[in-house]
Amino acid sequence: MGEAPLSKIIVMTSGKGGVGKTTSSAAFATGLALRGFKTVVIDFDVGLRNLDLVMGCERRVVFDFINVINGEAKLSQALIKDKRIDNLYILPTSQTRDKDALTPAGVERVLNDLSKEFDYILCDSPAGIERGALMSLYFADHAIIVTNPEVSSVRDSDRILGVLASRSRRAEQGLEPVTQQLLLTRYDPERVERGEMLKVDDVLEILAIPLLGVIPESQAVLRASNVGMPVILDEASNAGQAYTDAVGRFLGDEIEHRFVSPQKKGLFSRLLRRSA
Amino acid sequence: MSIFSFFRSAPRPSAVQAKERLQIVMAHERAGRTGPDYLPMLQQELLAVIAKYIDIDQNKVEVKLDRGGDCSTLELNIELPAREQLKSAMAAVKKPDLKPSASADQDDEDDKLAANGPLTNGGVKKRH
Repeated sequence: MGEAPLSKIIVMTSGKGGVGKTTSSAAFATGLALRGFKTVVIDFDVGLRNLDLVMGCERRVVFDFINVINGEAKLSQALIKDKRIDNLYILPTSQTRDKDALTPAGVERVLNDLSKEFDYILCDSPAGIERGALMSLYFADHAIIVTNPEVSSVRDSDRILGVLASRSRRAEQGLEPVTQQLLLTRYDPERVERGEMLKVDDVLEILAIPLLGVIPESQAVLRASNVGMPVILDEASNAGQAYTDAVGRFLGDEIEHRFVSPQKKGLFSRLLRRSA
Repeated sequence: MSIFSFFRSAPRPSAVQAKERLQIVMAHERAGRTGPDYLPMLQQELLAVIAKYIDIDQNKVEVKLDRGGDCSTLELNIELPAREQLKSAMAAVKKPDLKPSASADQDDEDDKLAANGPLTNGGVKKRH
């Protein structure tokens, strides 16, 4: 494990729904824990809880984030320890209440308590720019903007960048701004080559933030969520490797971007037309 | 593939169009985002004043702030009602010196707006 991290509170956000925030949160939190950092991942999507399913701990949820905010349970009762990885904890949200249950003072108190114990706190934002999303990014030191190479996702990401610049705690208190990195997900190099999909460079040019990683479109993502396993643990898959690289870059490793151009197919696979 | 399609220029890839469309729409949105906070309030108060004298449609008003190097322009576009309506409205408030340039045809308003639309264009320039 390295030195104490500068950015403790990370938000995984996007504006648009369905781009891979929860998949990325699960993978990223797992990756940080695998690197030896004590990590907690919090679901901010009150009423539409799903991080528990993606992490495979849905049957172990007794108390949740909202219970802790309301003082109905202790933090230690609501935190779920991951069964596979040491140092990894999940704080699920409530499935029955609505997003108004997230009070700024309550969220702040829970984040303060967590930051005494954890190296990294990863906030999984809901879609949209309403209370749940605003609360998930308000206290953030660092934002990972999850974007698909597609017009509506890019536009919504830009909108979220605007919200981070004006409505985060750091913006309101005139502190150093929230640092930002782009995680481009569901990237299909072959469609990019055919001119059917925005290139990495196009998205970078438009959003003008540093690139954390490119996650290729991969069947492994669905397979992993089917069984409740963060896809980063599927070490054989492109997506899993891409997330491992992204975590490494986040921690300061210099790793070249992979999976951004079509894989060269050998003569045999061309003849057989087989894909992985 | 026919021999003619060989000479025809290739269609523009859809990804190129995606990028161009995004750049245009986001340039607009970013400009609005950096606008001052008082703009919506200013717009409302200006409208309230004008509405005192002229019966205007609140949806046919556009307030724009353009920032140049040393000069910002506040542009206010208000579509006035058709001449007949305006006459009665003006008779009520006794302001006969306002002249809308044309009577509004509500059907093809977009084209009219661009050409010689029934707009008053109030420009306020401010140096800073």
